[in-house]
Amino acid sequence: MSATKTTAAAIGVHGLHKRFGGLVALDGIELEARAAEVLGIIGVNGAGKTTLMNCICGIYRADRGSVSIGGRDMTGLTPHEIAHAGVGRTFQIPRVFRKMSLIDNLLVPVLDRNQTDRALIERAEAMLEQMRLIELRHNFAEELSGGQQKLLEMARMLMPEPKVVMLDEPFAGVHPTLCRFMIEQIEAIAAGGKTVLLISHDLTSIYRLSHRVAALNQGRVIAEGSVDEIRGNPAVVEAYLGA
Amino acid sequence: MSLKTNAAAPRASERESARRIYFTLAAIIGGVVSVYFVLVPVLKLNLAFHFYLMLWITMASAFNVASGFSGYMPFGYVAFYGVGAFTTAILVQKLHFPVLAALPFSGIAGVTLGLMFAPTLRLSGIYFAIVSLALAGICRLVITNLPEEVTGGSFGLHLGSRAEPVLSFYVMMCVMLLALGTILWLSRSRLGKALRAVRDDAEAADMMGVNVVRVRLYGWLIAAFFPALCGGVEAWYTNVVDTETAFNTLTTAKTVIYAVAGGLGTVTGPIVGAFTMVWLDELIWREFPRINMLILGIATVLLVLFLPRGLIGTLLRRRPQWRRYIP
Ligand SMILES: Nc1ncnc2c1ncn2[C@@H]1O[C@H](COP(=O)(O)OP(=O)(O)OP(=O)(O)O)[C@@H](O)[C@H]1O
Ligand SMILES: [Mg+2]
Repeated sequence: MSATKTTAAAIGVHGLHKRFGGLVALDGIELEARAAEVLGIIGVNGAGKTTLMNCICGIYRADRGSVSIGGRDMTGLTPHEIAHAGVGRTFQIPRVFRKMSLIDNLLVPVLDRNQTDRALIERAEAMLEQMRLIELRHNFAEELSGGQQKLLEMARMLMPEPKVVMLDEPFAGVHPTLCRFMIEQIEAIAAGGKTVLLISHDLTSIYRLSHRVAALNQGRVIAEGSVDEIRGNPAVVEAYLGA
Repeated sequence: MSLKTNAAAPRASERESARRIYFTLAAIIGGVVSVYFVLVPVLKLNLAFHFYLMLWITMASAFNVASGFSGYMPFGYVAFYGVGAFTTAILVQKLHFPVLAALPFSGIAGVTLGLMFAPTLRLSGIYFAIVSLALAGICRLVITNLPEEVTGGSFGLHLGSRAEPVLSFYVMMCVMLLALGTILWLSRSRLGKALRAVRDDAEAADMMGVNVVRVRLYGWLIAAFFPALCGGVEAWYTNVVDTETAFNTLTTAKTVIYAVAGGLGTVTGPIVGAFTMVWLDELIWREFPRINMLILGIATVLLVLFLPRGLIGTLLRRRPQWRRYIP
């Protein structure tokens, strides 16, 4: 434990390896996100973006390497311990609690908070209002459309006021109007001082939202830098067109 | 900001009135059920029938914690019941415990057995169900193979205490009310929300900060406690236990059917399910003593075909807005 390199970066990923059988999904990822930074992650299908996110939040155990959050080493911690360290996320394919009301969905991440039920419910309602889901608050989450489920996940992620949030394809399968709304929400999250890890295939949104971008290909970071640097990077262009 | 507070006030009062309706309904149902059962010995109604009605309500409600709330299908659920029955019987017969002092140990035995089975909670779906069934078989074998002086062997163990049908009836009623109260609490508690989240998506719940292993264990132990108590009280009521009846798979089957008939996941579902099905069973048995199992089987099939969510489950599906009001 003692030898792992930790920094004060909001998210620090060092030498991360992950294999599935013979398939190398992550091949020595080095990545850092500073506090209050939006770090965009791009890459073709199967590049390892979701796997990276799964390793950071502890649901996949990396074969080698370390993850730190706010300078604290997370290696070997369980997903709920990592969540309590201030990490929230959404999923590429929404994973809401289907047979629970929207309100109850939002309460799940804050169940062990030392606050009254009333205070938590009011916060959940305010959050649903912000996400324009307030009218549906007593419905089961399975009764929402796919796009609405994405909004619900976003609200659920924000409930415990995490320091670090990770968004996996927030715009996939989302109507342009809702897409614009999502972008505004993410901008608000970033403006609130949270560190954001944003995965998306939608380069326009990524370039608009990110302070820095990392491009993944076959489990490696092939380029990293400011939006302008990534936009003109030949390796990125080739990885995208070559696929 | 002002817009938010304007909208929040009516929501708070709406929440308060929903809460009031919920607890009023719970009190009415609890009151009616209590008064009804209290009066059974007084009015000299069929004591045995109502004793078992309460037993099935308790069993189905506790099973609901394992299935409706936690998402498990313990096909060996009878193991808790059987071990509870033998615990009370052995304590009373061999160690001369007063029955009422022995009964809590049945509950403890159930929880202990639940702890021993806890490693199986990492399994899910059909794998959990099969392992649970196998474990119940093992429990039964272990008890069958204990020395005859302890378990009474194939003749069963007679408690030898004076039969006290009315007192045991009222103790069964206390157990039932305790179970219903626990589940009423659970369904609104934070533990209950955590259990449902884990049921719907354990990995996602974990990533949202829920300690999945711990939450599952708590739910499981609640589900293990009550059938063990039922077994103990039933041993007292009938004054005899034997492995054949105490570990009868039909007990699990009935528990599942009654719980499913009413609807898993609600407090009222298993109560309504047990009420309906036990009455139906009794009526059919009275009218068609020879083919009662056949008719009951057909009734069960029809129920599952046409109301797969059970009576209350179907009602709440048709009227989703009632979910907040119906316990
Ligand atoms: N649970 C798993 N079991 C086996 N292989 C997996 C698993 N998860 C991911 N992989 C493999 O790891 C590789 C990276 O997958 P990952 O989901 O991280 O890609 P991605 O960059 O998120 O792609 P996409 O843009 O399509 O979402 C893929 O080849 C995938 O097949
Ligand atoms: Mg992905």
